[in-house]
Amino acid sequence: MREVIVELKKVWKVFKTKYYEIHALRGIDLQIEKGEFLIVMGPSGSGKSTLLHLIGCLDKPTSGEVLIDGISTSKLSDSELTNLRRDKIGFIFQQYNLIPTLTVFENVELPMVLKGVSRDERKKRVSILLEMLGIKDTAQRRPNELSGGQQQRVAIARALANDPKILLCDEPTGNLDSRTGEQIIQKIKELNKKENVTVVLVTHNPSFKVFGDRVIYLRDGQIVDVT
Amino acid sequence: MLLELARRNLERIKVRSILAIVGILIGVMAIGSIGIFGESLKAAVMKNFKDVVNQLNVYPNFQEGYTYIEQRDLRSIEKIELVESVTPIRSDSSLIVYREKKTYATVYALNDDFLKKNFKVEKGDINLKNGCVVGKLLADHLSLKVGSKIYLDNNECRVSAILENTGARFDINPNFAVIVSEDYFEKISNARINLVVVKVKSLENVEEVKSTIEKTINRKDERVVVFELKIIVERISEAFNQINLFLIAIASVSLLVAGVSILNVMLISTIERTKEIGVMRAIGAQRSTVMKIFLMEAMVLGLIGSTIGAILSIFGGILIDYALLKDFSYVFQLSTIFYVFLGILIGVTTSLLSGLYPAWKASKLEPIEALRYE
Repeated sequence: MREVIVELKKVWKVFKTKYYEIHALRGIDLQIEKGEFLIVMGPSGSGKSTLLHLIGCLDKPTSGEVLIDGISTSKLSDSELTNLRRDKIGFIFQQYNLIPTLTVFENVELPMVLKGVSRDERKKRVSILLEMLGIKDTAQRRPNELSGGQQQRVAIARALANDPKILLCDEPTGNLDSRTGEQIIQKIKELNKKENVTVVLVTHNPSFKVFGDRVIYLRDGQIVDVT
Repeated sequence: MLLELARRNLERIKVRSILAIVGILIGVMAIGSIGIFGESLKAAVMKNFKDVVNQLNVYPNFQEGYTYIEQRDLRSIEKIELVESVTPIRSDSSLIVYREKKTYATVYALNDDFLKKNFKVEKGDINLKNGCVVGKLLADHLSLKVGSKIYLDNNECRVSAILENTGARFDINPNFAVIVSEDYFEKISNARINLVVVKVKSLENVEEVKSTIEKTINRKDERVVVFELKIIVERISEAFNQINLFLIAIASVSLLVAGVSILNVMLISTIERTKEIGVMRAIGAQRSTVMKIFLMEAMVLGLIGSTIGAILSIFGGILIDYALLKDFSYVFQLSTIFYVFLGILIGVTTSLLSGLYPAWKASKLEPIEALRYE
């Protein structure tokens, strides 16, 4: 039987400012299965990022429910949400978002430090991840000494550090040339298959559709198409 | 690793960090060196009182009509176990004549031991059997030298020693006095004991001895008054502590300024690193972790600044002491070290307090807002 890892039930997200309200998501129902590669597409302002933030436990829905591995995020405290992010979710951003003062090795190590993993175990895990992503020889360099592709690989390694169930990618190839971008997507696909990690990937690039098990289209906060 | 991260974050804004450190350094140095100076000043003054803290002066109670202390009372004081020494002192006023000069001065009857223990000789040797001892001021006044022949109420006496100027004292004042032996004193005066100097074995027993004396002698009538020199010393010490506290409070103002500069540096850091904080939060850093990193940065600034400031404050203390007291030996005593550590403590505390608000602000950032920040 297939296992559902992420479930959204009638999820609404409303951003209120002083003068107006933005309905970023309007009653989204979505189930993502374990090991699935889901691609989210849609024009800017359609609610893609908001959806990703809700799944990534960075935010809570205004109404409705978001269940991550069976846990509803609505009633969790900030601290509990943080732990959920740390243990179950890996983020990959368009801007890579590595910590500039830390070396590659330390960047990948950081989520494990936050989790309280022992030094020996951290060292082992970082070596495996760097090897897996083909950036072992950059371990002692700082992010600003790396190419964009290399930085994104470090970001992927960091996202995988605590062996997450879900990998959330927010336009991970947006800042890369098409060849490097393709390599990164290939890598993510490979991890999805090999490690059976669930992937949710937001992208503008229609040529990546082939990598997804399923593609959903968002417009004005609603799912308008699924392929 | 978080501490290492904090260190590197400071290194990233090197110039700003150094300026913040310099601020703290100056503040700690001000507190440390002023504290050292205050303590030195106190030590310099207290040095004069070092020998008298365990001393009790027993006077006859003039208000009740007693003008001298009786022999039996002296003996009952001598019997008290905790007493180290008891010196009865007799004194009278006498006309002193040397060549054509003359003056009235106090004459004390003392023994060699007491003299040697309590006073320093400037010239000559103390030997009351063969001659009298005169105080510095009297010697100057009459132009006396060792060997000069003076007359005390027509009794001849040769000066065997001249004492150094003793400054103010609370028992006898030999500066303008002649000191003679008991036997000699009998010849010129019939004055009885008008002061008994009691030295107590240990400082803790001063009160006890005082009350014992009062209880035994003043059983029926208030015959004697016991005066505790420790009280004077304590009052003076207290006064100096207050002065020192005031000086340090002034010096602390500079540290306050340094604290504001740390606050400023760290607030700028918080804003500059908003996105980074967002990333940290996204990958699982708790609010408390973010707070910890910022507080560590404040602490590193404070520790470095305070440590350097503390070391420099010792030099500062030497400099001020030398300029104002012409003697910097007081810098190297235990109580001044206290002020060096007080400086460090206040420095680090100020830094931590200044870091508190920026750290709190950083920890309150919403992860999504922070991530969106460019």
